[in-house]
Amino acid sequence: MKELWRNAHVKRIATIALIAAVVTIMTGPEGNGAEPTAGFTGSFASHVTFFGLFTAQRWLVALLMTVVVVVLTWSVRYVNRSWSDRTHFRGQAVQAMTSMIQGSKRRSKFKSTRYVFFAIGLVLAIGLPHVITDNSWQTQIVQQILVYVLLAIGLNVVTGFAGLLDLGFVAFYAIGAYTTAWVTGALPTPPPFHTHLNTFFAIPFAIALAMLCGVLIGLPTLRLRGDYLAIVTLGFGEIIYLFANNLFGITGGATGTNQIPFLSVHLGALKYQWGLNPVPYYYLTVGFVVLFLIIFSSLEHSRVGRAWVAIREDEVAAESLGINPLKYKVMAFAIGAASAGFAGVVTASQTLFVTPPTFTLQFSINILVLVIFGGMGSILGVVLGGLFIQIFVVYLEHSPPSGYNSQDLYMYLGALLVVMMIFRPAGLFPSRRRRREVNQIKAGTAPDALLTNIGPHSRVQEET
Amino acid sequence: MSSLLFDVKDVTLRFGGVVSLNDVSLHQNRGEILAIIGPNGAGKTSLFNSLTGVYAPQEGTITFTNGQGKTMSIIGKKPFRVSVAGVARTFQASRMFGAMTTFENIKIGAESHRGLGAVGAMLKGPRTRRDEHHSDARTKELLAFVGLTDHANTIAASLNYGARRRLEIARGLATSPEVLLLDEPAAGTNPTEKLELVRLIRKVRDEMGVSILLIEHDMKLVMALAERLYVLNFGSVIAEGSPEEIRANPAVIEAYLGSVDTGVAEGTK
Repeated sequence: MKELWRNAHVKRIATIALIAAVVTIMTGPEGNGAEPTAGFTGSFASHVTFFGLFTAQRWLVALLMTVVVVVLTWSVRYVNRSWSDRTHFRGQAVQAMTSMIQGSKRRSKFKSTRYVFFAIGLVLAIGLPHVITDNSWQTQIVQQILVYVLLAIGLNVVTGFAGLLDLGFVAFYAIGAYTTAWVTGALPTPPPFHTHLNTFFAIPFAIALAMLCGVLIGLPTLRLRGDYLAIVTLGFGEIIYLFANNLFGITGGATGTNQIPFLSVHLGALKYQWGLNPVPYYYLTVGFVVLFLIIFSSLEHSRVGRAWVAIREDEVAAESLGINPLKYKVMAFAIGAASAGFAGVVTASQTLFVTPPTFTLQFSINILVLVIFGGMGSILGVVLGGLFIQIFVVYLEHSPPSGYNSQDLYMYLGALLVVMMIFRPAGLFPSRRRRREVNQIKAGTAPDALLTNIGPHSRVQEET
Repeated sequence: MSSLLFDVKDVTLRFGGVVSLNDVSLHQNRGEILAIIGPNGAGKTSLFNSLTGVYAPQEGTITFTNGQGKTMSIIGKKPFRVSVAGVARTFQASRMFGAMTTFENIKIGAESHRGLGAVGAMLKGPRTRRDEHHSDARTKELLAFVGLTDHANTIAASLNYGARRRLEIARGLATSPEVLLLDEPAAGTNPTEKLELVRLIRKVRDEMGVSILLIEHDMKLVMALAERLYVLNFGSVIAEGSPEEIRANPAVIEAYLGSVDTGVAEGTK
């Protein structure tokens, strides 16, 4: 019996089952004074649907979900192992496609695989509005999925590449949204230059302002490390929220902005007006997602990306090689803020007005969850993780299965995240480097800096 | 030949009430292999950290003169500025980027002194490409120089101690320094690796013209390598001279008695 418990697989299944049991109880019916145990027994005995396919008792559904999660974690492990062990095994189809697209043989296998993934994703993204024609779904896809993916890849630059835990990332999203309102004249504050600007120019304005704020917020805060940085960024996130909420004369206060016009562009022959139809917004956003993906991915594989990794792994060593940590960290902040700023424009101009309660700590944490779930530092992982979780969320919101209670959403997401952290601590599709780091920490062979990279940035405390 | 490289004058470094360096004065000439020895806690690493900008001593001056004869004061400069000026270092507990390959570790050193280049990095222009080629070539050169070519794609954390030391030396050299500071390079290496290390350090000086400043506990290694030594004890310089002079110095023998006297005895043989 004892040996059975030592078996890793048994442990894994038992842990997932335990989490499933907790979730089952927490999301079940409430008890009452007359029958105190009714809530508990009802949690297992009452009926619920399994993804709308069939209805069964809750314990059976929980068991099925456990099986699904076990199979999923195993299959992802298997797929990942095969991917990482490319010389040993590569999917035949991908290999064929790679060589087709590749043409020149000088490109590394790794690079061409990225291109294949990218091309498939792009084709799917372009074709999607023709498959999903329901307008409210399309709006949800832009607002709940693409905007989240934009934010996640931006936060990935800060947290994944440069290793800076930022709990106030929503601030840049808010800055993007409020800049849109400002430029289009929807704030009590007069718009810049007092001229009639194309509302389209909200985009460069918002991106530039978000980046500028990234620098301004980054310069004082990024002298701190680890936990301290997290707390200070959290504070900055709250400051931006309070600004939006309390500065009535500037931001419109708690009631939010006036109506923001749709994006439009009138430049000579180029005339276009975005409107109620979500499809043009969809394509605009997809275009920017692609743009940011290209920029972030080439940054990752450049000198700048390597400097970020060096700082993340051992700041003291990186500095001894002539890398200015503050400069690169501020840069990560500003670049990450750019995509958040654009996400703010999309939200503001499509939903037509902005209110402060959107920009709370909860939102920052939601974005961080996407990054952690997908695999910090891995663009592919973060995009897939963001898509996976947000599709799940939109599905639950848009067509909730019977028995689903919307206030249980975070219970399910929490359980999912806990399972992930136990079995794939580096995320769904981690970058190779991040996986190595996590493995080294687990095996106890990590350089000290990875484990003790906390504490205020103090030169004197090093190596005394 | 005897132009000045480092000039340390009357440096005092305190941590609260603890005096780590007490009125230390020393100098290093260009092209010299200089060693600093002393018992544990004598202030050797503190001196290193002061020389590289990690610590800022409260009193005294540290000046560094580069190959063009330009003099700069180190105190108050940040470590990355000191590195850019031409001072490379290794660490006592080796600090490689463990999750990167050997190649990537060195490449980071090779390209770290160039400007920010964010825009270039995004656009991948011809200049960025040329820089990449240059860094790759330099990295390969250094891999061969320290004898790690076969380990180019090995994850740094899985290298043995000897290889890690060589990797750290190569990474430091990649920044094209004028002086390389080695903090106990032989710690944790076996006798064969030590021998290789002595050869490598000599080669660095002779072939690359990089001056060497090292801290070491291993007396055999120090006596074999160093052309001149300083002995630190309780934060003060107690002796200076050639290996032969140091061996015969009564103050040094006294400082080492009871701690690592065997080391001196072996060295004397």
